[in-house]
Amino acid sequence: MEINWIGLASAGATFFGVWLGHVSVRKIEREVTRIWIPATLALLSGIGLELASFWTDSLIPSTICGILGVTLLWDALELAVRQPKRIKEGYAPANPKNPRHTQILSTHPKATTINWLDRDPRGMPYSKDELISIKKRPA
Amino acid sequence: MNWFGISVGFATLFIIGLGFIWVIRGERYFGYLWWPYVMGLGVLCVVSSLFISYIWGSVLMGAIGASLLWGSTELKEQAVRGELGWYPFHEKKILPPFAEIIKKWKVPSL
Repeated sequence: MEINWIGLASAGATFFGVWLGHVSVRKIEREVTRIWIPATLALLSGIGLELASFWTDSLIPSTICGILGVTLLWDALELAVRQPKRIKEGYAPANPKNPRHTQILSTHPKATTINWLDRDPRGMPYSKDELISIKKRPA
Repeated sequence: MNWFGISVGFATLFIIGLGFIWVIRGERYFGYLWWPYVMGLGVLCVVSSLFISYIWGSVLMGAIGASLLWGSTELKEQAVRGELGWYPFHEKKILPPFAEIIKKWKVPSL
């Protein structure tokens, strides 16, 4: 039986694209003050990769560029809109050393420096009082 | 000019988008302890993509496999989100076989 490598290429590009989006979007959004710069870079590289996939005749490079390009386009949206929104809502921790985040911390009461997700599941929901006491605890 | 890569890209975006849905729903009703089974299914999809000769079938199978692999590592974080009240919490979960053993394993986090 002939091995078809295109599925592995697609799996690799998908996994790498999701990993890049997941890890680097959080990190970059946390550190960078002028977020439009990395967001624009992601947008331009996304468009560039899609064009590359458009101009290649060969299927495997076209697949890899097509998938990575689309995930980078999504990352531009994550950097510019979705991740800052998570910071404002307190779902992702704000970085007090980033002036853009200190601004958010002073204007959005739900914003916090606590990383709520840095804990193991315990099998039951947290009560309102527990959540308040976690928020008061010094980091 | 070749629309293949762009079409694959958007199909993959859709598959990743489905990942959000099944991770949230799956964790709510089944719990995060299913993660090794989901991970195994992901590996199975990626390996089987090698033996699918139809191009689109192989590509989509690979992307589905990668998305399952990723999602398997997300289930635990989703369980915490449910407990924090960010998502509806469902107490009675349908636990996987060997749940007690899996509880002792460390979920790979990326």
